[in-house]
Amino acid sequence: MISGRNGAWLRPCAQARQNQTTQQSTRRGWRPAAGRLGLAMLLASTTACSAIKAPVPKDPDELAEYKAANDPYEPLNRKTYNMTMTFDKYALRPVAKAYVWAVPRPVRNSLGNMITTMNEPSVFFNDVGAGKPRRAGDSFVRWCINMTAGLGGFIDVAKMAGYPHHANDAGLTMANWGISSGPYLFLPMGPSSLRDGIGYGIDQGLSPWNYVPRGYGLLSFNWAYNMLGVIHGRSEHLDDLDALQRDALDPYATIRSAYQQQRKAQAEAIRNDHRATVPAWYQ
Amino acid sequence: MTFSVSRRGVLGFLAVASTGLAPVSAAWAAQDARAFIQSFGEQLVAIVNSPLPLAEKKEKIMPLVSRNVDIDGIGRYCLGRFWKVATPEQQKHYLALFNQILANAITDKLGDYRGVSFTIGNVTRSGDDDSVDATLIRPQQPPAAMQWLVNSSSGSPKVVDVIGEGASLRLTQRNDYSSFIARNGGDIDTLLRALQKQIDHHNTASAQQ
Repeated sequence: MISGRNGAWLRPCAQARQNQTTQQSTRRGWRPAAGRLGLAMLLASTTACSAIKAPVPKDPDELAEYKAANDPYEPLNRKTYNMTMTFDKYALRPVAKAYVWAVPRPVRNSLGNMITTMNEPSVFFNDVGAGKPRRAGDSFVRWCINMTAGLGGFIDVAKMAGYPHHANDAGLTMANWGISSGPYLFLPMGPSSLRDGIGYGIDQGLSPWNYVPRGYGLLSFNWAYNMLGVIHGRSEHLDDLDALQRDALDPYATIRSAYQQQRKAQAEAIRNDHRATVPAWYQ
Repeated sequence: MTFSVSRRGVLGFLAVASTGLAPVSAAWAAQDARAFIQSFGEQLVAIVNSPLPLAEKKEKIMPLVSRNVDIDGIGRYCLGRFWKVATPEQQKHYLALFNQILANAITDKLGDYRGVSFTIGNVTRSGDDDSVDATLIRPQQPPAAMQWLVNSSSGSPKVVDVIGEGASLRLTQRNDYSSFIARNGGDIDTLLRALQKQIDHHNTASAQQ
């Protein structure tokens, strides 16, 4: 509303009320109109906000539950959830089922290994970021072994050599830095939070595949890799999600609760990993 | 006056005695919880791995579960803040339904497992409960780490929660139920109807098999 610096526009207008000239009156004509428009927009945005934000309950028990759920944007999140689930029902799930039907288990395992291995650089950078040298070493060794002896990641040789995969992402790294999760968010790619959503963006930046130069056929590889990642990831959870949607009375709330607990446990597990960097025989 | 002094003396004695005893009883409880989960787990695995037909397994497993798991306690926990609001009839009806749902959930899983084994790790204290780390080993699947929460306040140890992949089963269930009730205007009967519907659906589905 205050369009000029320090309200400079307002003061001449106030003066204008006393000595009215034609020029000033035209000015006064559009200013209140602009003001009304601004007010209308403000009102519209608050009504929009009320659809995005849930009202804070008054009852103490209910308030405790509201705070524990950490979901102030529940109405918006539920809308995204419904959209995502509709997309899943008619597009992603059938494709994932077809993938399971068409591709035999050993091949799917190999593809899964490849996807995991190719994400290893991002895990490595996050392990370094979290200040966990042993974990960073594990993911680095996994990358080196699997990309060579594992034929580009298709065989998980590193696991056989005693370096099993561990997950890490920028959301967890930030959690280890003491950054709280922020409000829960349901994003089109699944349950998340403000912190984890930002972390998702950072992870995209940490993945070397997004820096592939054009014109090497690698760009189409990158597309195929990302889409395969989504389909493969969904195919691993066909039964789980079916069971959840069948058994849960409010699947949205169940997913929210399980996600928040799991993220907390994952961050805790990384924090409590105090394994030494030196090999066992040296100690 | 003499009464209050003696009462203070008694209380003081009790306080000292309990602080002295606490570490001992905690250590004892940890051993107790581990032995309890070991024996309960072995009995469960014995039934799961036995060559008996599925129907017989189901019959055998439920008495074992109800002996070792505090099903009513878990049920009360899952209803959360609505337990206080529910009438005694609603509470009774709810617990009956909850028992049935839990039984269905367990027996549904029975057919999926064969040749399983488990190992028990650390026992830690978590609030009023003992948390027992266990790893379930299934053929051709990655090992699943879980924690069993054991509470002994009723005199005998009972399982009150299972935590798998960091998520507590009872807490997740509570959030499911309470969110459902809250979205249906705080009406507990809606939950009871929905649970009954689930059980009916399960019965018709298993009858068709």
